[in-house]
Amino acid sequence: MSILYDEGQQAIATESRRVLDARMDKGRLLGLLEQVAQIDQPFWDTAVEQGWTALALPEEHGGLGLGLTELGLVAQAAGAATSGAPFLTVGYGAAQALLAAGHTDDLAALAAGEKLATVAFAEGSDPLPAGSAVTFSEGKLTGTKPAVIGGLKADLAVVLAIHDWQPVLVVATLTDVTRTAVPSFDNSRLYADLTFAATPATVLAEGQTALDLARDVLARMAVVTAHEQVGGAEALLNIARDYSLTRKAFGQPIGAFQSIKHRIAELYGLIEVARANCIHAAASEGAPDFLIAAADARLSATEAYDTAARDCVQIHGGIGVTWEQGLHLHMRRARTLGIEQGNLLFWEDLLVDQLAGKYQNEGAGA
Amino acid sequence: MIELETYRVKARAFLDSMAPKYARKARSGNTVEQDLALGRQYMAARYDAGFAGINWSPEYGGQGLSNLHKIAFDAKEMHYGMPVGFFGISLGMPVPMMIHYGQDREFVKERVTKALRGEEIWCQMFSEPSGGSDLAALRTKVEPDGNGWRMNGQKVWTSWAQYSDYGVIVTRSDPTVAKHKGLTYFWVDMKAPGVEVRPIKLAGGDSHVNEVFLDNVRLEDNQRMGEVGGGFGLALHTLMIERYIATDSAGFGPHLDEFVKLAKETTLNGRPAIEDGRIRSAIARNHAMRAGLDSITRRAMLMMQAGMQPGPEGSLQKLVAVRSRQKLSELALDLQGTAALPFDEHAYVKEDWGTSWLNAPTGRIAGGSDEVLLNTIAEKVLGLPQDYRPDKGIPFNQIPA
Repeated sequence: MSILYDEGQQAIATESRRVLDARMDKGRLLGLLEQVAQIDQPFWDTAVEQGWTALALPEEHGGLGLGLTELGLVAQAAGAATSGAPFLTVGYGAAQALLAAGHTDDLAALAAGEKLATVAFAEGSDPLPAGSAVTFSEGKLTGTKPAVIGGLKADLAVVLAIHDWQPVLVVATLTDVTRTAVPSFDNSRLYADLTFAATPATVLAEGQTALDLARDVLARMAVVTAHEQVGGAEALLNIARDYSLTRKAFGQPIGAFQSIKHRIAELYGLIEVARANCIHAAASEGAPDFLIAAADARLSATEAYDTAARDCVQIHGGIGVTWEQGLHLHMRRARTLGIEQGNLLFWEDLLVDQLAGKYQNEGAGA
Repeated sequence: MIELETYRVKARAFLDSMAPKYARKARSGNTVEQDLALGRQYMAARYDAGFAGINWSPEYGGQGLSNLHKIAFDAKEMHYGMPVGFFGISLGMPVPMMIHYGQDREFVKERVTKALRGEEIWCQMFSEPSGGSDLAALRTKVEPDGNGWRMNGQKVWTSWAQYSDYGVIVTRSDPTVAKHKGLTYFWVDMKAPGVEVRPIKLAGGDSHVNEVFLDNVRLEDNQRMGEVGGGFGLALHTLMIERYIATDSAGFGPHLDEFVKLAKETTLNGRPAIEDGRIRSAIARNHAMRAGLDSITRRAMLMMQAGMQPGPEGSLQKLVAVRSRQKLSELALDLQGTAALPFDEHAYVKEDWGTSWLNAPTGRIAGGSDEVLLNTIAEKVLGLPQDYRPDKGIPFNQIPA
């Protein structure tokens, strides 16, 4: 489904961008890169104050009852500002898993921003391991989930584990879990290895149902992230354009050289394709082709943001690689967002499996 | 106005009824002349059934429906492979321009009806040997001749000129002013003395484009369209009309489903090619790109339905779709290996990878080359500076050759 944003949605887009423009600070974000375990508190305070934590949760659980489209618009603004907090996406993902399983006790606290939740699915190159290294037995989790997003601060996590060699999706409180910080090239993502040692956990889903639910949650988070990537890519396009209009070489603005202007025009193409896919995917929430739409959004948004990061730095020349100029904030974020919520390779495979299967079902005339 | 979904159903019923006689299958093996004759019959039938001039005023034999209705019909018709290619340019640009600017209104009405019925074909003479992308560099000149004009010069890449009865043309009427300012737009009788058409055989084997030589061709002043010196503005207007054509995220080549099918049927290293990572990556990336273009199209339709102007992102369609079709077609040939070598020059471009590959370069050049489209996006959408133009503001006749 493709939509035109209505007035309410346009207002969310404008307002979230306005607030972040006013409150985000490049110097502060640069500082966070050199500290492990520091979240960008002003961003998170803003997110809670603006109700972004409540946005996509049902009203009966303290939410605002809106959906992926609205959350996507906020994520787009957050992406443009390289906002320094990961919980917008993983908090939403965890809440969706809890909601689907009817495990609603913590939802009001999540909506109010009083608790932080994350999702612990990925292990190395597998974003959705059917045979996890974390085991669940007699109500307890044991083993390590590596580099969990927001793992250093989260209060609870939805974990994909195995039970009797079958996938199981559980939720665990992280109070007594060992958290080992993962120093990264993008530290405000708060990556941590979470080591469970007989940690009590509650089952949300088992077997194939667990895997299906985890995949759906991953796809939803991928759509939010894709919006964030589009926001980042668009910010870079604007930065590149503005710079190429003011920077002069050989007696003219460098934006007059086709090597520069065509590079920027190509970026525009990548971004608009990704944006259109994002709009379609968000509006396809719950539809039969949601996975395909999510994959399309994810693939095109990752390509757009990575390319924008590469090209924007290149267009700036020497100044583009300085610490102070800060383009590396986007370069770093483009890669962390590209890895979080399933890398390109994962989404390519998932998409082709869907298409090849779809082709079989519908026959040659599809 | 008839509701869009109802209209689609109606269009489909009409097209189904026409298919046995006119669609892709019925046309196979036709010579170009046979296909043109069949096309004229189809156009007449389409006119009689009320599916001609869909978004044109009833005053000119049109249906008075919206641009959306036209796009909806064209998109459906495209699936059937009807013999409409000969009339695409004619009804796409020159005839609408006549409706806007033709001086003799009775003459215009007569021409429009005949063009809609496929009895007459119009061509569009813009490009010249000295200027394709740089339209305003054209050299075909007109000089006052009594109460009319006399025209000399040469046009090139003129689609279907060899079958055309009339054409529209941009000429240089004043070489002493800057190049954009000295142009004037006319219509031409293609059968008039001094007009000579020579087909050009293209790399793919077909000859739908032509050179047109203009030797002392007499034009009456009532053949002039718009003001003297207003030709460049009219040329831009002509190109604007193209906005309401059906797009194709497959770049007018085979659908991605065809590639998936090929990958499932072909073995690579002892396994189905659909299991090969390189093939999977190509499928996935192409799907993501085409889905994005499709979404852009649907949103443009919604905007038009809401009475809004579609966004500039629509200008990406041809640029992105055609060059990716070119690469995917190359990969499809690679995938088949020696089985790709047998070639049928009459195969359908939306079904055959060889034909799609061989004709793809035309798609990347005609109607605005990739490079010109990138310039347009950079300058008009993103506000980047124009290229260095040493001929800017200089009278045409003082520009160094």
